[in-house]
Amino acid sequence: MDFLLNTIRKIDNDQVKEYSFGNDQSLEENLAISFISPKDFDKLNLVPSLHLKISSKQRNIVVKFEKDDNIPEGTITMPVSIWSNQLTQILEDELVYKNIVVSVEATREPILKFEDVIQKIRGIE
Amino acid sequence: MEIYKWLPKTNCKECGKPTCMAFSLDLLQGKVKVDDCPPILKPKYKKQYEKLKEMLGSEEGQQKELRINVDEDLCDGCGICVTVCPVNARYCPPSLSGKAPEYPPEKHQLFQVIGGKCELLNLEHCRRLDSEGRERECHVCETYCPREAIKIEYV
Amino acid sequence: MKRYPCSGCSLLCDDIIVKSDGLFIDKIIGACLKGKERFDQVSAQNRITSPLIRKNNELINVSWEEALAKTVEIIKNSSAPLLYGFSNVTCEAQRAGMDLAREINGFIDSNASICQGKILNKAKSQGINLTTITEIINKGDLIILWGANPAETIPRLLNKVLFSRGKFRMTGREIKTLVIIDPVKTASFRVMGVRDLALIIEPDKDIELIQMLKEECCSADSIPSGGVAGIDKSDLKRLLLHLTGAENGVIILGQGVLQPHADYDLIEELLDLLQLINDRQVKGRISLLLLGGHFNMAGFDHVALSSYGVSGKLQFENKKLVKSEDTIVSKINKENFDCSIIVGTDPISHLPHSLSSKLARKPLILIDNHSSATSRIADVILPTSITGIESSGLVYRIDQVPVELKKILNPPNNIPSDEELLNQLIKKFNGGAK
Repeated sequence: MDFLLNTIRKIDNDQVKEYSFGNDQSLEENLAISFISPKDFDKLNLVPSLHLKISSKQRNIVVKFEKDDNIPEGTITMPVSIWSNQLTQILEDELVYKNIVVSVEATREPILKFEDVIQKIRGIE
Repeated sequence: MEIYKWLPKTNCKECGKPTCMAFSLDLLQGKVKVDDCPPILKPKYKKQYEKLKEMLGSEEGQQKELRINVDEDLCDGCGICVTVCPVNARYCPPSLSGKAPEYPPEKHQLFQVIGGKCELLNLEHCRRLDSEGRERECHVCETYCPREAIKIEYV
Repeated sequence: MKRYPCSGCSLLCDDIIVKSDGLFIDKIIGACLKGKERFDQVSAQNRITSPLIRKNNELINVSWEEALAKTVEIIKNSSAPLLYGFSNVTCEAQRAGMDLAREINGFIDSNASICQGKILNKAKSQGINLTTITEIINKGDLIILWGANPAETIPRLLNKVLFSRGKFRMTGREIKTLVIIDPVKTASFRVMGVRDLALIIEPDKDIELIQMLKEECCSADSIPSGGVAGIDKSDLKRLLLHLTGAENGVIILGQGVLQPHADYDLIEELLDLLQLINDRQVKGRISLLLLGGHFNMAGFDHVALSSYGVSGKLQFENKKLVKSEDTIVSKINKENFDCSIIVGTDPISHLPHSLSSKLARKPLILIDNHSSATSRIADVILPTSITGIESSGLVYRIDQVPVELKKILNPPNNIPSDEELLNQLIKKFNGGAK
């Protein structure tokens, strides 16, 4: 299913806080997360034990999800973090952080680990 | 507020309270009963009387205590409650312009942000309890909290 | 009791009471959660207090001499160094960064250029008023949040601009109208009262709203009956009334409006609209306030302007400033650099993958005080003290007002401040000459 991905800042899912006081586990706990509306939750046939695979044209990530009533249908939001920035893009020398078309599917794959993201950035798949 | 809506709102003072608002607050705290309001017993307020009885249910007349709960997990220390609280505004002038009040706090002060979290200092000066006869159904702290961390309740 | 400014975010609240014995911070009164976290960073578990070098893919503790020698070696082997960051350091350190860029013929830019700097330059050239926080507190009567959610990014902003009572407005919240335009119902919506206006706009349709408002400004009754971009006609009419009737309105712009578009420029359209409204206003005006997260986001432009006469990015060749069309994004994207010096920021986390992977391929020197995704990749890490707590200096607030940060504690291991460290590096390249 196609969604619009919006990266937003949240005080509870703050990357500076996690980098200063947390560890790899708390980073995954608080930042590898996405928020969707309850209607989309039903449409995707989700159950809490599943994860979401969010894919842009180039790459994909696997993150947790949470229901949030305030999010409109067809939108998926993620806190600004290294995970969401695997999907953000560039358009004519400007950075696109909002309204990125992504496809979302339920998956049983484990959440993408922080160390794995770093390895991907370094080019070691 | 819900209770006040169903009272006669005539401010007749027959119950011994200055206003219907004050009566509704006492009703909420269980200090008085619906029957203590003489006008509401009249036939023309019958519907409202029944509604109030239904709202209060079996808890009518049981003495209750005011609690203001600040959820520490939710609070982000924005200090809106410090600024909007009328008691704070009256006794701590810096809070009027959004500044943090002095420390140690003034003895009437209700809220203070300490260590990034809002702390309730002393409830007894809350406008709901102590306002020299001008007790109000005040709930600005609860209404404007952007994190919904403040809850006013009677237990 | 002494009050200190807080360096937790770009609001730089200057009323924080800090109880400290000179060694530790005991109590912080008045600061929000973000501010408290900033003060807690002094003893954070992921704090870096000694220089580190990557050897065989592992970071090891080394002496300052060794770390600086390695840094100089990396820079000397490169012909096009890239300096980036400078939003979490003082203006003095920004100045030192520019001087270093000149010595090593590098390209220097700050976080602001991919954030609010874009709007700022356009607003300046169009002559749109930028307002200050004090002015909003004292005179403001209309506050529009457009694509901004200060309740979660700058917690005390709403408290200051919306709830506090100003000199000329003794009633505070009651007289100020809040309008929020956002596709998502954010936490900021919860402070709304009955007089306020909540506009949930369809994602990416801001342009339709702006164009409609522009049309409506020129000719009355052009609002389609079905509304625009998911907003009712009656709400649009109220918005227009507020916009044209406000005495001292402010539009607070957040990250939401920075979205680039292939076929139009949202910011330009928005500034045009503002100009149109201000031209038609009889008694009042609408001004702008730009939100940014880092505490000295606004400073870089001021420093570049006063030292080199240009705002924003600087490119040096042969120790002279040259004109360059490149931006930080195009520089990284075209891999037009061969080593990077990152100061006080975490680009590996906040840049898109296509840029961060390119940054990771070249040698990376990190100057920061705590570990981050960038520190996992950096080849050399030079720790610095925490600005605003362990070192002092001048910084600019979001509304372009300078604030002096103060020193409260001594840094551990006598680590230098950003300014001192950058000046040390400059000396290594110009042989101690001024």
